[in-house]
Amino acid sequence: MSLGDLQAWLLEEGVRDDLAKIVRLTVRSELDNLAGEAHEVSAEGIDWQRLIFAGSILARSEARTDQEAALRIAVAAITLTDDRGVRDAGAVLLGKLSNFRAVSLAVDRALVTGNLDKRLGIALRLEALRREMDRSVLVETTGKWMQLNDFQQRFWTNASRARWLSASAPTASGKTFLVLQWLVDQLGAGEAAVAIYLAPTRALVSEIETNLQNLLGDAKGIEVSSLPLRGKYDAARTGGSRIVLVLTQERMHLLANVLGDAFFVDLLIVDEAHKIGDDGRGVILQDAIERASRTNPMMKLVFISPATQNPEELLADAPEGIETVAVDSDAPTVLQNLLLARQVPGKPRRWTLETRQAEATIPIGLLELGNTPASFIKRLAFIAAAAGERGGTLVYANGAADSEDIADLISQLQPKADPKFIDSELAALAELARKGVHPNFRLAPLVERGVAFHFGNMPSLLRLEIERLFRSGKIRFLVCTSTLVEGVNLSCRTIVVRGPRRGKGHPMEPHDFWNLAGRAGRWGAEFQGNIICIDPNDPVAWPKGVPLRSRYPIKRESDAVLDLGDGLLDYLAKRGERTLSDMEGSEEFEQVGAYLLTSYMRLGSISQADLAKRHAPAFIARLDDVLRGLASQLDIDADLAARHPGVSPVGLQRLLDTFRSYEGDPENLLPAEVASDDSYDRFVTIMRRINASLFPAFEPESRIKLYALIVFQWLKGQSLAEIIRRNIAWHVEVKRSYRLPTLIRDTMALVEQIARFRAPKYLSAYMDVLHLHLRSIGREDLIDHGLDIGTQLEFGVSSRTLISLMELGLSRMSAVALYEKIARDDLGQEECRKWVVERADQLGGMEIPAVIIRELRERLLVINDAGPAEATE
Amino acid sequence: MARKIAVTLGPMYFDKKGDAVAYLNAMLNKYDVGDRVSAADAVVLEAALARHPEAKEKIGTGVKDFSVRSAEFGTKCFWVNRTDGTTVKFSHRAI
Repeated sequence: MSLGDLQAWLLEEGVRDDLAKIVRLTVRSELDNLAGEAHEVSAEGIDWQRLIFAGSILARSEARTDQEAALRIAVAAITLTDDRGVRDAGAVLLGKLSNFRAVSLAVDRALVTGNLDKRLGIALRLEALRREMDRSVLVETTGKWMQLNDFQQRFWTNASRARWLSASAPTASGKTFLVLQWLVDQLGAGEAAVAIYLAPTRALVSEIETNLQNLLGDAKGIEVSSLPLRGKYDAARTGGSRIVLVLTQERMHLLANVLGDAFFVDLLIVDEAHKIGDDGRGVILQDAIERASRTNPMMKLVFISPATQNPEELLADAPEGIETVAVDSDAPTVLQNLLLARQVPGKPRRWTLETRQAEATIPIGLLELGNTPASFIKRLAFIAAAAGERGGTLVYANGAADSEDIADLISQLQPKADPKFIDSELAALAELARKGVHPNFRLAPLVERGVAFHFGNMPSLLRLEIERLFRSGKIRFLVCTSTLVEGVNLSCRTIVVRGPRRGKGHPMEPHDFWNLAGRAGRWGAEFQGNIICIDPNDPVAWPKGVPLRSRYPIKRESDAVLDLGDGLLDYLAKRGERTLSDMEGSEEFEQVGAYLLTSYMRLGSISQADLAKRHAPAFIARLDDVLRGLASQLDIDADLAARHPGVSPVGLQRLLDTFRSYEGDPENLLPAEVASDDSYDRFVTIMRRINASLFPAFEPESRIKLYALIVFQWLKGQSLAEIIRRNIAWHVEVKRSYRLPTLIRDTMALVEQIARFRAPKYLSAYMDVLHLHLRSIGREDLIDHGLDIGTQLEFGVSSRTLISLMELGLSRMSAVALYEKIARDDLGQEECRKWVVERADQLGGMEIPAVIIRELRERLLVINDAGPAEATE
Repeated sequence: MARKIAVTLGPMYFDKKGDAVAYLNAMLNKYDVGDRVSAADAVVLEAALARHPEAKEKIGTGVKDFSVRSAEFGTKCFWVNRTDGTTVKFSHRAI
């Protein structure tokens, strides 16, 4: 019998019954409000020695099911028995799985007594020692050894060797922690002066920026920033503090535009790299990576993705001669229990739970609800509140509106908070919600009861604080939307989900579902995580059933669109002829079409592009023909086109033509200063011009005035609370009815999607083409060389003081709150810092929310090189 | 039949008020909302403003220049930008 045969036999026969028993027991221990059982299963009668021996055999397997079984046995041995010997053996088994964090957790919880090594026999002790040495790496900058699991160690070793590396591992494998450690080590050891960490969402950018700042603490010589500005970059390039810029792909392009020929990156990390396949923004990410690699072909590049099928795909376009390596892992670090919750026929409050393990299901018990779940959202709310009563419970909602309703229902089942005894951090968060959004924002009373909701368009300071308090356990229930799947590193104890959708009603693909489900289980804080799927047999909720475990297939958006063949060629051909309103499927083809045309303009033929090797030569030749026809119409050059990824060079040319035929005063083509009374109306006209010539980015026409108003207010530096207040006032003035929660959500969405996403993208292109035109007609005098409009819009700042405050690391919410108190609008960073330091004792009396004051203290009143700041507490 | 009254707006002469209004209409339409009115057009507009029944209030501290901005019901109109930084719209039909 081979080792593989033995491992298979153990699962199928050898320890099957004992394994089923411990599954049932360990899972039951995770859930609250289960009804008592007539025949309670107990751990009695389990032959632990035999089971742990089986576990050690299974631990030697690479297969996920075997590893899961070994981990289950180890956790059961530690948590289900009182026998110290068995617990020690469980801890040894965890060691064999290189799961040192779980061993530490067992020691922290006093399940296993410390100094385990001393209680082992010589042979075991030597083996454990060898394993620990094998699984340790030296952190160069600190000189300390760090214990890692198998995946982490392979990452660390290979990352220092290969120039391009693609690492894939399930959530809760310690990827982010490790990559950040490695990044800091690289910078500390002088391997890189400028590193960029690409994170595909603003939510992830804020999170990584905060994590890096915490990791660096008071360390000198390394700066972190998420602003695409050149000051810190130039300092790093001229021997000053090294820098990590945490950017979305769009912000990286803004930075590259600002730096021009000086743009040079030593180390690039691409997080959530599977997003290279995303509709619309995948190709912008691909372009960002290629742009950085073009300027520095020797750049070190690290891709990180959650469980993916083919991480090596990301290495396909590495420059010739560059060493590449893929590091892949599918090993579990925490147990993930997939539970199916079904309503007992005729008993709406009673729900059976069973767990799906490999190919079998094991009954777990009966969940008794206190109230009848008459609607689908009530099912989610009540089951979450009951089964996940102990906290760490995350509920997935299909949309922001549902998330608020579900959170509200859960909160009603929690004890009413006595205002005198509300936790101070929860009270501070509620205050931030009331002052930073609206006095009646639904979030505020909910967080006072330890419940919150969370969606992508919320201001980052608010969202990060919610996430922090959920991690710390003060928020016990968090209802979230797909922002979480889009890449926020938030794990939980239990996830409750019913018919999850992504985007506009599309059922989640299995890999998306498992990316979400993978967040169940906090490695190092828990041994297990639970995914409760409600109504698994409902064909509407789960059209293809509850998905089997699945990994992401990585496919570039550009390749996916090219695979559509003639559809793309037809689009490109028509793009040169007609106006955009005639075009169908324009969103789908516009971005990739822009990328292809820009590549053609740079290379002279797509056959020279890296992607050519993945497509039929005959198709590439036809593509070249179409692109040649388009390129021949253009006066726009490749450099200008490359500055605006996702924006078609044909559109840029049409805009240039519009400028050339403009008969009025060219000054009227420029945006007016936001302080000017013309500013709002000028935006209306510019948006119309963009729609007509560049791309219909601000449609429908009936909403242009609203879009322009939001852009105007945002750019003016108004707070979200102020924008919402004015929106309400407008509704009252024109006697239009509104619902406050919807109005708040819609305003947040407008700020994020229009002011911070569409407007910077298209206005930035508009300005570049306009500058080209102004130079050609000898009106350089009209060109303002200040901050690029794209950056101003992305951050919602137009005054020097506001920019300085954000350069100091404040969130926009804090910067705006402080700016309301600062008279001067032309302060530099040091003057802003001085302003705060001088008033440190008065901050509390300024009506500024406590969370903002905390941020001010953390970012502006820290100890600096010269010693403690004058006014720290 | 009403007697035709000739109107002079700066360098422009019109046989009757209707022609002057039509000229100002055409002027308005050549601008987009948010545009600053050119110096040449501003001379005509300033003369038109002087004929406005509320000319004194509209002119206030003095005229710096004119803009075209949004008005009610999706329309647009001329706005006076005063030297003190304040701004007020005016209807060129009321001259």
